[in-house]
Amino acid sequence: MKLAVVGKGGVGKTTIAGVVARSFAQAGRDVVALDCDTNPNLGLALGLSPEETARLASIRESLGDGGDHAPTPAEILERFGATGPGGVRLAVVSRIDRPNPG
Amino acid sequence: MRIAFAGKGGSGKSVIAGTVARLLARQGCKVLALDVDTLPGLSFSIGVGGGSSDAGLPAELAEEREGQGWVLREEVSAEELVDRHASDGPDGIRFLQLGKLPGHVSPGAVVAFRHVVKGFCRPEWSIVGDLAAGTRQAFSGWAAFATRVALVIEPTAASRLTAKRLRGMADATPNSALGLVFNKVRESRAIEEMAAELELPVWAQVPYDERVAKAEREGRALVDDAEASPALAAIDGLVQHLLAEDLEAV
Repeated sequence: MKLAVVGKGGVGKTTIAGVVARSFAQAGRDVVALDCDTNPNLGLALGLSPEETARLASIRESLGDGGDHAPTPAEILERFGATGPGGVRLAVVSRIDRPNPG
Repeated sequence: MRIAFAGKGGSGKSVIAGTVARLLARQGCKVLALDVDTLPGLSFSIGVGGGSSDAGLPAELAEEREGQGWVLREEVSAEELVDRHASDGPDGIRFLQLGKLPGHVSPGAVVAFRHVVKGFCRPEWSIVGDLAAGTRQAFSGWAAFATRVALVIEPTAASRLTAKRLRGMADATPNSALGLVFNKVRESRAIEEMAAELELPVWAQVPYDERVAKAEREGRALVDDAEASPALAAIDGLVQHLLAEDLEAV
């Protein structure tokens, strides 16, 4: 199953995505969670600490466009993801916002 | 006063921005309200035409330029935009949807007008802006009109992380004074700690208020609520605080 969660800001996308991911993992499935938000907070909803959530975002940020760093999706998960409570593997795959005055 | 509201999705930027705009207007200020978000919100919280006036600017005002994306045609001034293309809101507010251009869904189209109101040269007018949610646009020139940026945050871990990111971005654009507006506060214990961590002044604490939720459900402006509301009182406190600070600065 490949499931995307979308909606207006503040409706609870991240919370619901986090609970669904943890529930699937608890049911014995292998789960990959992808944070595609430019303000990525999915780690918090999965049970990672604020520090670890911020760290995953900063890893993604340090990659720039990412093309040369991770040629395959599996490699992104392997090298830049983290495993959270319940065994959910999380990676931040959005373009992180950086200051761009002007 | 020229103020922009930024923060996480759902933190209450639009409700607070819309209410601030209405309260300023009721005090006799001329107010330009800017929705810089592409999703509707501010028009509801101000009460402009039942929230229907957020269609965006006419496409013929803009053109696509090599390397710049969509920009306003050179002959169109900020004053003309406000006079001819803004909608009339309650209490004399002029409302502009700056976040989109109908019929254009390319990412370039939504960055068409961000600099326009920076050049709006009527100092007697107040400008109240509602920025897009999250960190994507908040400081990429979208708040160029603002002398103050309020970070609206809820006392949650996600909101705190968002505020940290916004704060980091704000350091790159030092022209605006930054402050915190806590929203949906149920108990104030965590607030001092969060403010100290972010090293920002607290401009207001808006309590959790069922009347705000009701106004949002019904798509009405909070200020049009007949009943007294603790959140409205706190937002009025914010307006008075900022007006007093602006007077001091003169």
